[in-house]
Amino acid sequence: MKLSDTSEAVSRVLAEKSANNNDKGSVDLIWINGANFATMSENSLLLKQWANKLPNFALTDPENNPAVNFDFGVPTNGMEAPWGQAALTFYYDSLSTDKPPTTLNELVNWTAQNPGRFSYPKPPDFLGMSFLKYALVMLHENQDAKIGKNIKAQLNLPATEQNTDMVLAPLWAFLDDLHPTLWRKGEQFVQTGAHMRRLVDDTELSLAFTFSAPEVPAAVQRYDLPESIRSYAMSDGSLSNTHFVAIPYNASHPQAAQLVANFLMSPEAQAKKQTPDIWGDKTVLVLSTLNPEQQALFKDNKPHPSALPFDSIKRTVNEPHPSWVDAIMQGWQTRYGVSP
Amino acid sequence: MSKNTNNKTTKEKVHSATITGITAPYKTDLFTRIVSLSPTFLLLLLILPVLGGLVCVLLPAFSWVTALEQTTVSLQGFHDLWQTPGLTQMVALSIATGLLSTLLAFVMTLMILAAFFNSVWLNRIEHLLSPILVIPHAAAAIAVGFLIAPSGMFSRLISPWLSGWELAPDGMFPHDPYGISIILGLTLKELPFLLLMALGALAQPELGKKLRQQYKVALNLGYYPITAFFKAVLPVLYPFLRLPILAVLAYASASVEMPLILGPNTPPTLAVTIMQWFNDVDLNLRIKASAGALLQLALTGSLIALWLGSERAIKTCFNGTLLNGKRHYADALWQKITAALTTVVIGFILLALIGLLMWSVAGFWRFPAVLPEQLVLLHFQSAFTQMSTPLFNTITIGIVSTVFAIVLTLLCLEAEQLSQKPLSTFTSLIIYLPLLVPSIAFLFGLVWLQQLVNNQTAFFNVAFTHLLFVLPYVFLSLASSYRRLDPHFAHVAASLGATPAKVFLQVKLPQLFAPILIAIALGLAISFGQYLPTLLAGGGRIATITTEAVTLANGASRRTSAVYAIIQMALPLVGFILAWVLPKYFFKSGKNSSR
Repeated sequence: MKLSDTSEAVSRVLAEKSANNNDKGSVDLIWINGANFATMSENSLLLKQWANKLPNFALTDPENNPAVNFDFGVPTNGMEAPWGQAALTFYYDSLSTDKPPTTLNELVNWTAQNPGRFSYPKPPDFLGMSFLKYALVMLHENQDAKIGKNIKAQLNLPATEQNTDMVLAPLWAFLDDLHPTLWRKGEQFVQTGAHMRRLVDDTELSLAFTFSAPEVPAAVQRYDLPESIRSYAMSDGSLSNTHFVAIPYNASHPQAAQLVANFLMSPEAQAKKQTPDIWGDKTVLVLSTLNPEQQALFKDNKPHPSALPFDSIKRTVNEPHPSWVDAIMQGWQTRYGVSP
Repeated sequence: MSKNTNNKTTKEKVHSATITGITAPYKTDLFTRIVSLSPTFLLLLLILPVLGGLVCVLLPAFSWVTALEQTTVSLQGFHDLWQTPGLTQMVALSIATGLLSTLLAFVMTLMILAAFFNSVWLNRIEHLLSPILVIPHAAAAIAVGFLIAPSGMFSRLISPWLSGWELAPDGMFPHDPYGISIILGLTLKELPFLLLMALGALAQPELGKKLRQQYKVALNLGYYPITAFFKAVLPVLYPFLRLPILAVLAYASASVEMPLILGPNTPPTLAVTIMQWFNDVDLNLRIKASAGALLQLALTGSLIALWLGSERAIKTCFNGTLLNGKRHYADALWQKITAALTTVVIGFILLALIGLLMWSVAGFWRFPAVLPEQLVLLHFQSAFTQMSTPLFNTITIGIVSTVFAIVLTLLCLEAEQLSQKPLSTFTSLIIYLPLLVPSIAFLFGLVWLQQLVNNQTAFFNVAFTHLLFVLPYVFLSLASSYRRLDPHFAHVAASLGATPAKVFLQVKLPQLFAPILIAIALGLAISFGQYLPTLLAGGGRIATITTEAVTLANGASRRTSAVYAIIQMALPLVGFILAWVLPKYFFKSGKNSSR
């Protein structure tokens, strides 16, 4: 079953609930995280307390690894089985620019010097929102130190009417500065990360980012990006999160779905998925829980020149509470959703 | 349509002597009963889903959604809708793109007809443009995008030697805020449709003959060719173009594929926004989306009313001009302009297709190279490994909906002949209903209805929804051939004692072999190209080549989307080639007699 957006599956399950279809749902397993998960869990559309009982769940070291029990800060309560991890990484065309920005501050200077060569996917696109969240976290890290207040802590709490304006004000100031130097002067935005990648291939953009680093060398191998592409991680921090699979409450085959979810967490499936040629998605398993043969599955000998160099992610930044997504999205839509 | 019925009545008069007493009191059997019920069935089949769908979008628009435990009627949805930032721009964009593209396509159709009426070039242009008709909107949009993008063919052809661009420039197309890209795409796609509809009307023997004679008389009276067309031909021809034009207008103002691939997103058109709301995670947006669907309905309705109103106004204003006796209005200049414009359009289309072909086999192809660095089959290979399910779905859904549409159409047309009464004007209008009501407005309600009735067989739901769009085209395509059928053969067979069923199966159908094949090819092409109905009725579970192509169009790979666009074009083309070749080998005599 193919969806152009996970939200279509959410719509589907809701439609079924409204048509009183409570045990013969058309969706058995959804790849999900973040806002879609929050919506489905609020509306009780998901099966509970199964993921934590799967045998392979132990391999994620759940006791010491909160990343598999919390989805954007929301406890999963066994409704989701972890499937992969992602971190925001950047890539650039080395024939167009030789010094890509490595911090958020440098990014502003870089776009001023290279006007029209950077953009981000239009919210509510997941990747575009991730860029905004990365910017928001960095802005507070930089500012909080200057003014001596800890506003950043608010990001781990739900967005409320009281704190929203204060927390988001620096982001809007930053974007007001940034937008005129973006692709199409910030009056038009790319639709998705994939669209952004195509524009890099078109040489319209020289710098872009992705949540799935291995996607970049894979695209070069398919000729979808030029060979001059290089990947790197921002030195001030990479936003990172885990993605999951979940079972709708009305799934027709919940047992089979659990078997599939357990398979997806197996060392064999995870290693295969991490292979750059296949998908290259970072595993959720903690390698120290595996035996040596299983660990050997995860080794990569010949990295691609466009791939993200090994251990280049120096510092990871956690996702803010999911309620901030809505706050940022609405604020963005009001300010920039309609070009003047 | 009314002209057809006139044809028929005159024919009936001619043959009334032979008809009376032979076929009139046919023996009622199962076949004739099915046949006589079929027009009613056709009406129900078209009216129920469309009206049912509309009602089911009306309820949530007034905040009545049982799923969200909202069972009070309120205007909250409309209130939210008015608060949407950029609503005015969305509406303006929908109106502008819908109206301008229809107007442009219509004006260019008239210019081509006027400049090349009675010239061999008209047929040549028809042959050059008719393949465009079967190209799905998504594929056409992808091809246009390749051409006009800042790194597109135009820009590559002048870089860097003329423009000095080493990197793609900061351009405006596609996705320009004024919707010019959308208008361009829609116009190129609708022009061949209107042209073929006009030529189809002219191909009706009596009408065509009459118009050509009037045209000749006008020329003999000293009218210049273009003026002669506008004064002597157009007033009679226009009524045959009205419904196709309104269908184009309704489609253009509410379409999703073209604006999605070529349009802006700050904000997009109303139809695209509504679709995004319907698919949003926030389930409460459903209410706003339903209210938006009603706004879309009003928007399209007003555009149609505006068109019909302007039609009246123009008729009144120019009535005097028709009779003023003036023989020419800068005809020579217009002739040149039309020739130039036609060349540009055809050149544009050819370049777009060449670009599409090159992207589908391109290796690295950095701007501003005009040709790819290497040619590879990788994109076709990897597409084919993933294509089997979408391809299978596309073809089976196409076949199921087309076969059903063909059978029903043939039965209805047979009912017309058995009862010797043409279908009522009402029925003829209803056949157009799914083309005149914006699909975004009734599809969501229809999907909800389908959920209630049956939600397990997405395949059936999709095929049924396709049928709504296939049926009108199949009917229009078959009706004129069926009504033109020489009744002598049927009468002779009947007088020899053949039952109506036998006459239908063994006498009429073989004569119609060629037109039926064309109708099948057309039906398949329409079904292959459906995006929104497939996406919604299938709940995303039924992937077809078209849904894949649209999903990929704004995606990562120009190369993969070029491959999908080519497959999208190839499928209907195969159908039409078969429809063209097969009659040469089967029922040869049948083909001749139906001519």
